[in-house]
Amino acid sequence: MAVEPLTLSLTENRLGVIGLNGSGKTTFARMINGLMKPTTGKVIVNGRDTRDEKTALADVGFIFQSPQNQIILPIVKDDIAFGLKGRGFSKAEIDRKVELVLARFNAEELATRRAHELSGGELQIAALCSVLATGPNILILDEPTNQLDLRNRALVQKTIDGLEENVVVITHDLELISGFERVLLFHEGRLETDAPAAEAITRYRELAV
Amino acid sequence: MQSLYVEGNSALHRLSPRAKIFSLFLLGFVLFLGDNLPLLAIVTLLTALIYRSIGLSLKESAVRLRPLLLTIVIVALFTLIVSPWHVALATLLRLTALMLFAAAVTATTTITQFMDEITALARPLERTGWVKADDIGLAVGLVLRFVPEIIARYHAISEAHAARGLKVRPATILTPLIILTLRDADNIAAAIDARGIRRHVS
Repeated sequence: MAVEPLTLSLTENRLGVIGLNGSGKTTFARMINGLMKPTTGKVIVNGRDTRDEKTALADVGFIFQSPQNQIILPIVKDDIAFGLKGRGFSKAEIDRKVELVLARFNAEELATRRAHELSGGELQIAALCSVLATGPNILILDEPTNQLDLRNRALVQKTIDGLEENVVVITHDLELISGFERVLLFHEGRLETDAPAAEAITRYRELAV
Repeated sequence: MQSLYVEGNSALHRLSPRAKIFSLFLLGFVLFLGDNLPLLAIVTLLTALIYRSIGLSLKESAVRLRPLLLTIVIVALFTLIVSPWHVALATLLRLTALMLFAAAVTATTTITQFMDEITALARPLERTGWVKADDIGLAVGLVLRFVPEIIARYHAISEAHAARGLKVRPATILTPLIILTLRDADNIAAAIDARGIRRHVS
């Protein structure tokens, strides 16, 4: 999906991205962490151009629509540790970071669990731990409550609300972003509305019918 | 998402991953040196005993080994068409022994152990400048990790056939299976990049 040229400066702690299927939401998000490079213009994250391969991905964590695809090793703590390897940490430092990130979400009991045995909500938390262990200060979540039951959805919402990092949430779950300071509404590849949550959601409802 | 690894504390579980991988490599070499049928039969029997020792039930073993065993039988049957019977039998025994031992090693070694060992073994190759040891380790890990997923997807597509009252045919199963697998491969590759796992490359 192509996105039309736009100029934005994003400084909010909570940013929502909404829009119909194929409106350009995911393309926009993938440009923030350098998975996609803009064909014209540039994307600057934390003062660094995403076209610079070395630094682009370091500061931005990304949780995909299907978190099971981003968990590579079967045991949760092994997977979190795997993302930390090759970054110059000692084994003890890696173990410590794994413990810390799990403790941060009160998810110590997930450490030795197998990823395929986790519920949808637990899977999101495990993916979140493996991404946040590396210390990004911006986090992008692509439809984090997709296909979750009410209990797991509440768990994910509570976790997102408690994050200190700057968070970008792409979602169809309007309740999830209803308290956000700023929401971008994409429509047919262009930025339709850039406003506080209530206004963007109202406009989205008008567009959807 | 199931795992090829089986929890347990058998002798093979306790053996070092390096010893297991070297034994497998050695067996793969030695099996093709001779074609003494009684000797091959004994080796096959031994590998079957080793496989039994890891603690899988007969039913679970059958489920895991059936697809490979079927392939081996087909290969042996083709050999029988073009070669004398004893050559076909030797092929059957060799491949069965290799399969049983490889399955036993896979079931008793965690993906993390595999990746660490393969990466360490591939490290000297880095000097050629052609390969990155971490990439080889990652590739092996990904294969082991996602084989059960592909099997699970195959079952899901079969069920979808049954639900629509369609007969399960290779042609109608393979196309969606390949498309879904390739799409997932793209997503997994994006996830690996996003997690910065191949940082050494950039």
